[in-house]
Amino acid sequence: MTTLVPVTYKGGVYRHDEIMDLIDDLGGYIVQKHVMAQDVVLQSFVPRDDIDLIREVAKPLAGEVLEAPLVGTEIAVVSPSLEIHHLPHTACDIAEYLRRAGAKTNMVGLARGFGKRIANLNDEERDVINEHDLAVYALGNFEECIRQKFPVLRRGIHVPIVVTAAPDRETLMRVIDPPVEGYVGGVGRIMHRFKRPEELAKLDELVDEVSRTLDARRDDLARDPLSVFPPRLMTIVEERIHEVSMLTHPTPVTAQMEGLRVKLPYDLYADAVRSLEVADGVTVGDIADVTPSRMRNYILIRIKPFSETRILV
Amino acid sequence: MPPLNYFVVESPDEVGREAYERIAADVLQDLDLIKVIDRLHIYVDPKVPIFVAAGQLRHMPRAIRVADFANVNAGEKEIVLDIGDETYLAPLLRKLWALFGKENVDQPDRFTVVLPAGLAGEEDLEQMVVADPSETLYKDVIYALQYIAPEGFKVRRQYIRDEKFYYVASEDTLPGDIVETMVAPILAKMGVTL
Repeated sequence: MTTLVPVTYKGGVYRHDEIMDLIDDLGGYIVQKHVMAQDVVLQSFVPRDDIDLIREVAKPLAGEVLEAPLVGTEIAVVSPSLEIHHLPHTACDIAEYLRRAGAKTNMVGLARGFGKRIANLNDEERDVINEHDLAVYALGNFEECIRQKFPVLRRGIHVPIVVTAAPDRETLMRVIDPPVEGYVGGVGRIMHRFKRPEELAKLDELVDEVSRTLDARRDDLARDPLSVFPPRLMTIVEERIHEVSMLTHPTPVTAQMEGLRVKLPYDLYADAVRSLEVADGVTVGDIADVTPSRMRNYILIRIKPFSETRILV
Repeated sequence: MPPLNYFVVESPDEVGREAYERIAADVLQDLDLIKVIDRLHIYVDPKVPIFVAAGQLRHMPRAIRVADFANVNAGEKEIVLDIGDETYLAPLLRKLWALFGKENVDQPDRFTVVLPAGLAGEEDLEQMVVADPSETLYKDVIYALQYIAPEGFKVRRQYIRDEKFYYVASEDTLPGDIVETMVAPILAKMGVTL
């Protein structure tokens, strides 16, 4: 079986459709396509052996193929509030940097994530964060505050968490109990854009930490694979439900590691999605849970593992 | 940053202290207040919890008068105000409308305002106060301190008068004598008394 690896293609608009066709022909999937003025960025999964071929085809078009460890993941960047104290710099710079590594990021601004005594997490915030593959918590400067309020901010969260804050990594590991999946010290409440080399190095460290955490999850998934590879299901949904093409969202269908978020109203389209045929006689309903998302009125598809369905598409 | 004559951030948490030094510098720079503030001392302790910022401003900007940004030319039939800098044009027009009525204030182009002669003396017009930047400056200073302080510290007491200011904030109720016990000693370190 060919291994699909996540890559980013960056190039010009001119003849980029040839690259898209090539990826398609090779059996790869395009998860996200961004057209920005004259530039095109394709987040995609391609067979490992064919990367050189794509590079060769892209050469005359001045396109480049880069490794992007986070393609096909949806990450929540959690900020303690939407006030000027916490936004835009830390949270937005983190979100932007993760996006460059291929992730789809969503910002979650908590209603009451500030103050060590009054901080809390409501049910909507909890459920929205749990719909992601991973949550990055952008915390502040004081060890004492993190010690006191982090247990409250993580209550009920079962997705992996990576914490960023001002105290160094060792201190964070000491004050956070039970441990989380990743720590990045030296990034607290910062009031300017990340631009100095040491600040950018911190963001690189964060990307490494996040990809390490997600790789561990991927290894788990490899032991008990999903009934269908999410980008494959994504292509099927996009092909068969034509309303998807009319949505104006940047990613009308968002690929996650274990499912999809379809940005169509649940009430109207859930049945259509459930009865969609993935392969001969196998419908989406057979291999996945189609549930309402807590994010607006979207549809959340959670693909079941092979061990549960005994189906592998 | 440093054109401040005195800038100290104190905290029992060394990492937090460095972070707040950077935050304060960034905020003051962003809001263009470095030239306005002369001395600033910040004390923050999340265990109490308390945040105190106290200091002194440089001399405050004086009130802006018509003569500062316009030439007043009194003719036989009309008085022509020749505007040099548009910054304070809007408050000037509002003031003229209120005093003389809209029908008497004509503005043929961006840089000219015409009044009928005899409404006001040339000297009076030149000395008319149009705006007082110190008013907004006070608000800016308090806003900056609010912006620097940790967000959870919602209970606060602020003071700004005669070029001295302080801002105390906490998550819990502030004790009634907080100014005497916490703020006055900090101000004393800078040689300032309330």
